[in-house]
Amino acid sequence: MSVSIHFDTSWQEPFLKRLEDDGPWSNRQLYNLAIEVEKHLLIPEFEGLQAPKFLPQLKPLPHQLDAAQQVIENMNGKAILADEVGLGKTIEAGLILKEYMIRGLVKKVLILVPASLVSQWVMELNSKFHIPAIAYKKSYSWESIDVVVSSLDTAKKSPHKEAILEQSYDFIIIDEAHKLKNHKTKNYEFVQNLKKKFCLLLTATPIQNKIEEIFNLVSLLKPGHLGRYEDFLDAYKKDKDKLNDLHLKELVNKVMIRNRRQDTKIEWTKRKVETVLIDFTPEERALYDLFTSYHTNSESFLSNSFALLTLQREACSSREAVYYTIKNMLEKKEESSPLFEQFVEKVMEKVNNITVNSKAKKAVELIQSINDKVIIFTEYRATQLYLQWFLKQHGITSVPFRGGFKRGKKDWMKELFQNHAQVFIATEAGGEGINLQFCNHIINFDLPWNPMRLEQRIGRVHRLGQEKDVHIYNFATKNTVEEHILKLLYEKIDLFERVIGELDDILTKLDFGKMEDHLIDIFGHSMSEGEMRIKMENLSSMIEFAQSVKENDYREAAGDSLLS
Amino acid sequence: MKQQEIHSFLNQFFTANDCEIENHPGQYLSVQLTIDMDKALMNRPFYWHYVEKTGGVPNPQKLTLITDYEKAKEIKGELIHFGSPRLHQIFAISKRLGGFIRLFEDQHASISSNIPLIPWLCINMKISYCCDRKKDSFRSIGLNLINGAMAENFQDQLNSFQNQLVAKIPDFCFTLSPLIKPQSGLRRIEQYITNDIEKDDHSWADEARKRWQEDEKLLNHFYEDMEEKPESYYSEKEALQEQYEPKITVSIINGGIFYLAKQREIATLAPTSLYKPSNRMPIKKG
Repeated sequence: MSVSIHFDTSWQEPFLKRLEDDGPWSNRQLYNLAIEVEKHLLIPEFEGLQAPKFLPQLKPLPHQLDAAQQVIENMNGKAILADEVGLGKTIEAGLILKEYMIRGLVKKVLILVPASLVSQWVMELNSKFHIPAIAYKKSYSWESIDVVVSSLDTAKKSPHKEAILEQSYDFIIIDEAHKLKNHKTKNYEFVQNLKKKFCLLLTATPIQNKIEEIFNLVSLLKPGHLGRYEDFLDAYKKDKDKLNDLHLKELVNKVMIRNRRQDTKIEWTKRKVETVLIDFTPEERALYDLFTSYHTNSESFLSNSFALLTLQREACSSREAVYYTIKNMLEKKEESSPLFEQFVEKVMEKVNNITVNSKAKKAVELIQSINDKVIIFTEYRATQLYLQWFLKQHGITSVPFRGGFKRGKKDWMKELFQNHAQVFIATEAGGEGINLQFCNHIINFDLPWNPMRLEQRIGRVHRLGQEKDVHIYNFATKNTVEEHILKLLYEKIDLFERVIGELDDILTKLDFGKMEDHLIDIFGHSMSEGEMRIKMENLSSMIEFAQSVKENDYREAAGDSLLS
Repeated sequence: MKQQEIHSFLNQFFTANDCEIENHPGQYLSVQLTIDMDKALMNRPFYWHYVEKTGGVPNPQKLTLITDYEKAKEIKGELIHFGSPRLHQIFAISKRLGGFIRLFEDQHASISSNIPLIPWLCINMKISYCCDRKKDSFRSIGLNLINGAMAENFQDQLNSFQNQLVAKIPDFCFTLSPLIKPQSGLRRIEQYITNDIEKDDHSWADEARKRWQEDEKLLNHFYEDMEEKPESYYSEKEALQEQYEPKITVSIINGGIFYLAKQREIATLAPTSLYKPSNRMPIKKG
């Protein structure tokens, strides 16, 4: 036998000293209690979970316990936890961490999460798991904290980066790990260089656009598990053979756990989706149409159809959003052309003509009739500011929320919303991570073009702990790009009612590329309404096709529990 | 540990530490802490520093620990369960305060009988098998420091006559001096345990090494093409070793010297068993 045996000798010396000095000796009861304590803390088996008996108040769900046990026993403590949004990945991660700590295999822990989630993680680990986690602060040194929670953005910067790489962490958790899907980023490089003994990557969307993303995630966790990059691309990019695909799935499932809502046997509250169509005022329409007219106009300064499309979408949101973008364009422009100046002048004139924001008016009516807490999502910061002001004019209290806020401010805003304000106005960056299940009304003031982002939005509210049906109101202005989008993506493919998380599967079935790119092509490059319609039909039938393939696959795969 | 067990544990712990207890079995305990216990449990060094510097009247706190939330709903206090930090703090104190012991067997000797007491070294251990997983076992070994006889489950054997063990040497008894020094006694026990562990089934370690090799193979393949391997290759490699490398640790929980009457029967191992464990008397595994 070649296992090294280490005898702890620290007991010996004080014992011999006591013999020499004739004491002091322990009281007999305490001596017996010390033995009793140790016997209670012994780990009787290699297998099984000890954590639940340490956490009588936690009451984890069956799929969470299964996940924890699988990660420890079949994945050796390195896994991607990819449950759909709202199924409690944090609970799973906490259980796994607790288990390793109880077993004495883990002491030093690094938890990297988005800044908005730092406090939430610290609180949950402390209150639910009795794990003494501490949020990183500037005045601390990395070596002095055993369980530290920090944002990835802080951690990857000097001098933190160097200090962290010097530590020897036993356990690393990275939340919202889809930020690591691109292997050319600083985030990726930083995490790649960390020594990962036990490691969990958490993401609800392991694949957002391309199949390489899953390769990058897995290779971060377990380099070589999916082979080398070039080989992987050779095997899965060109060859769309089904067998290969199943093989890949099998490999991925060795390091990834993905629970779906329908597998969990939990009774979910319903989603009630309502489309709210809005009519522009003539002035608003004029601004929008101005941009439309430039689509067919081949003037060089706006040859970029994406910029025009953005302006159109902004016009559907608020005149403030348009104004802000134009202002930026002006600042960036080095030399001004008469054509451009003319364009800006026209835009400003139209902007100034607008006196009413029809959508905002509608939002106020809706909020007043709901008479309960409401979250409004918008893509634009200018709209966010405007809405805050506008709601205030109507006596509605609101708090803003966006990604750029410092951690403490985010917590404070959430707190304010929960206890004092009626409305929470979030920009896209605010959509991730923060949990707001005490609210069950969402207004999508404008729609993101990436369906995954929509999942993240809804997931803030429709998650475990939500007791009521969730109402989703999608605002779209009639006869605009918005209405088209809504029809195409959100009605034809039923995105809203669809079980969350399904779409990413569907999209990766095809070598589909980015959804946004398709949309830009359709709405930006089509020369006529007819062309646009045909392209839209194509896109939706592609998605439908992928879905039918996926359903077949799913049935096959379910047999050998590839997707546990 | 069930809630009743925790309750009785806490009661014993605070009794052993001379605290006054208002005990409500199956509900809660209110404990008037002593100064020492306050210092150990309440984490207020500044208060104690202040009191000691100013010569003020010490006022140790009262601690209420609730073991049944349902029955003690209106009681103000800390909820205690197996995972609660407070309980683990108390566990740690028990271990710290219960490390070393010396007891004598009281056979109620009379003036005519003058009983000699034989020194036994007792060691209670935790043996841990670690890789990416872990398993512990408890072992209690006794060693007769006069004739070198060794006993398994020694603590259990002692517990069967616990009431006869006392902290002060009883009247009309005398202790024999050890022929085997405690220090070499410890070495004998270490040797015995090492031999014994080596005989155990270690397929767990083989499996861990297999997992390790598999992952290392993948890692090597991943970086195969690179002449000069990047830093991440080496750190991953090191991580795999830390993750999987099988190790065994033996730590001493507590132990001490027990002076036992000569006629006290202790089930010991056959003397040869130190070298041929197969001759060992049948013992129950702890």
